[in-house]
Amino acid sequence: MGPDPLALPGTLDALDPLADFVHAAAAAAGLDKKAAGRLHLAVDEVATNTVTHAYGERGLTGQLYLSAEIAPDVLRIHLEDTGPAYDPTATPPPADLDKPLEERGVGGLGIFLARRNVDAFLYERRGDRNRVTFVVRRPGRPG
Amino acid sequence: MALTSSLEIGNNVAKITLAGRLDASTAQQFRDLVDQAAAKKVKAVALLLTNLEYMASAGLRVIVFARQKMGAAVKLYVVGSQPVVQETIEVSGFSQAVTLMPAYDAATIEK
Repeated sequence: MGPDPLALPGTLDALDPLADFVHAAAAAAGLDKKAAGRLHLAVDEVATNTVTHAYGERGLTGQLYLSAEIAPDVLRIHLEDTGPAYDPTATPPPADLDKPLEERGVGGLGIFLARRNVDAFLYERRGDRNRVTFVVRRPGRPG
Repeated sequence: MALTSSLEIGNNVAKITLAGRLDASTAQQFRDLVDQAAAKKVKAVALLLTNLEYMASAGLRVIVFARQKMGAAVKLYVVGSQPVVQETIEVSGFSQAVTLMPAYDAATIEK
């Protein structure tokens, strides 16, 4: 069994309990430390975006809703918010990854890392919520 | 798990030790240390990350800030980063701007 669903305030203070939630789900699904760390990064980056852009910059308050689903072959983490409709899976990757740091913008890196670190990265708008799903294959369970 | 951080300056090197989780809620702590280090005119900055469990893109942004603030003559070393932290640095294209090393090598860093 994974951790129970969790609602957190949509502020940066949510990031620490979010990390604990993701690690608990990853442990329950049998992911190793590296896979758990990658998944944590993915969920953290999307949540950070929501808190800073969807809520913070617009002066909105809202919550982050986390749930975990452990299927025979995969672990799914669902992250929901009530911000304006926004599809992170449609964000283009940064174009300047191979430029020297002095010449680069660092926008878009978070979502780039999120997408890269999971096996599937899905978005849907459900009612007034954005729902992002992170899917990671469980070890020893091909498919 | 919060972020624990400290700064030690000696032999023209600023050593910044980070432990715990470096995310958007804790990155300012790291940035403040980079600011302090930049004011000291060091020749190199070494980030000691052996006990850093986690780094988000907010941490990468502070590394960019350090690179820009310090100027090209100051070398940046990332020491002892854990696998996922190191992978994050590499896939983000930062490995040309910082030197990754498994353990603190005084002969190289303090030369």
